[in-house]
Amino acid sequence: MAANPKDIPIPNIEELFRPTHDERARQGMVSMIRKHAIIDMRRALKSDYEERIEPKLEREGRKPEDSAAIEKSLNREASYRFYSSIRYNAQEMCYLSVQPAVERALPEMIDLAKDLAVRNPTGGSLRLNPNLEIPRYITALDVHLAPGWVHAEYTADDVAQGAVVTFGGKVFSGQHPYRKKPGAVGESISYWLKKKFPNFKPKRILDLGTTTGKNLLPYCSAYPNAEAHGIDVGAPVLRYGHAIAEHEGIPVHFSQQNAESTDFPDGHFDLIVSSFFFHEVSVKATKKILKECNRLLAPGGVMVHMELPDESTVSPYENFFWNWDTLNNNEPWYTSYRAQDPVQLCEEAGFARDRSFKLHVPDILTFGEERHAKFMRGEIESPAHGSGGWFVFGATKM
Amino acid sequence: MTTSAEVRLPRQTKGKRPHFFDDPSIDQMMTFLLELTTEVGVLRERLDTVERLLDSKGSVTRAAIEAYQPDPAVEQERAAWRDAYLKRVLRMHAPE
Repeated sequence: MAANPKDIPIPNIEELFRPTHDERARQGMVSMIRKHAIIDMRRALKSDYEERIEPKLEREGRKPEDSAAIEKSLNREASYRFYSSIRYNAQEMCYLSVQPAVERALPEMIDLAKDLAVRNPTGGSLRLNPNLEIPRYITALDVHLAPGWVHAEYTADDVAQGAVVTFGGKVFSGQHPYRKKPGAVGESISYWLKKKFPNFKPKRILDLGTTTGKNLLPYCSAYPNAEAHGIDVGAPVLRYGHAIAEHEGIPVHFSQQNAESTDFPDGHFDLIVSSFFFHEVSVKATKKILKECNRLLAPGGVMVHMELPDESTVSPYENFFWNWDTLNNNEPWYTSYRAQDPVQLCEEAGFARDRSFKLHVPDILTFGEERHAKFMRGEIESPAHGSGGWFVFGATKM
Repeated sequence: MTTSAEVRLPRQTKGKRPHFFDDPSIDQMMTFLLELTTEVGVLRERLDTVERLLDSKGSVTRAAIEAYQPDPAVEQERAAWRDAYLKRVLRMHAPE
């Protein structure tokens, strides 16, 4: 009797990534250099500014008042120059340290992803549009210093960039080899959603700029009866993400679309999410995408985006810290995105102002359920974004 | 089109590279320095693997080095070494 194709075990595309002994060691070193820059040197820079530079300028009556003035006061100081240089190099090395192993694995990865896209053993799907125009704000430069970012294709049915951003991302966040457990965006926001809206049971979820869907999967686990969709302009990340979701046993419908204008019907989704997305697109595109969200969100639905805290939410020094990435991490929209008030953006897109929100929610893995309950009762605050909390904004149609 | 076995991914990033030092050669030197720092760490880890294999098996082959899988305790020890190593190598002068 022929085996039912649905019974064939689904291999894990990530297991095809097999770095050599020395490549693994290199990834470990790069991960630690990055940690040294983003934790140790970042702290040293802040102390240097607060204890030496700011008081000196204040005495001279020239205290820097905003992000740009702080940057100007620091950019000739050794603490800034070495922090920046080491952080920049570590970022590049994250991707460089995984590329050779991705190249070796590529033929096998492509074969597996192609097979899963035909069989869809878990019940997801992959819908690509080779005619989609990739917007210039994605192609003009390599975001995050990742050559080829999420969209470049080097061969037929390519998944390379899916693997490069995934494994490079693991080096970046210190999971490979492991240094710490990563923050959990989707887990934390879906946990908050369930506490905030206990009766909310979405039928369809949409994740914008989903890349490989890694931040969508936790929402699928939180709402297992919902039909999950992830869209992105990059084909390689969608192919790769589809292979992962099928392996994980989570049916996800990936499609290659620009979030500014999708082919879904009006009111098709009751939960629309995104993670680390809007600051990578132009402000003009942000406004169009939020209008599209308003068109796609059904009555009774919730839209919640995890993003960087906007300028007015944090101190001038923190603005300087976040905005560093604008010129130094190839994220040209970072500063102009953060200058917008997200609640205002929701209102301009047609959402009701009194149903729009922005807040920090705690990272559930590090915060714990007991403290989370206190947070929900308003007894304690969430940690700030980047320090154990996640900044979110959005709107409801409840 | 290139076959999947022939793909060589680009190592250069598209976009203007910032300079953090007055002389851009210093920016280039920082890249050399950090790559070299990384390679010393790689070499040290390889030596550590050799020593551990010799301790446990009394002999070592290239194949055994490749196949070696550190357990979580070894991983932790290695992470602590890398951390301490970088703190030594990247020691900053006190601000003037």
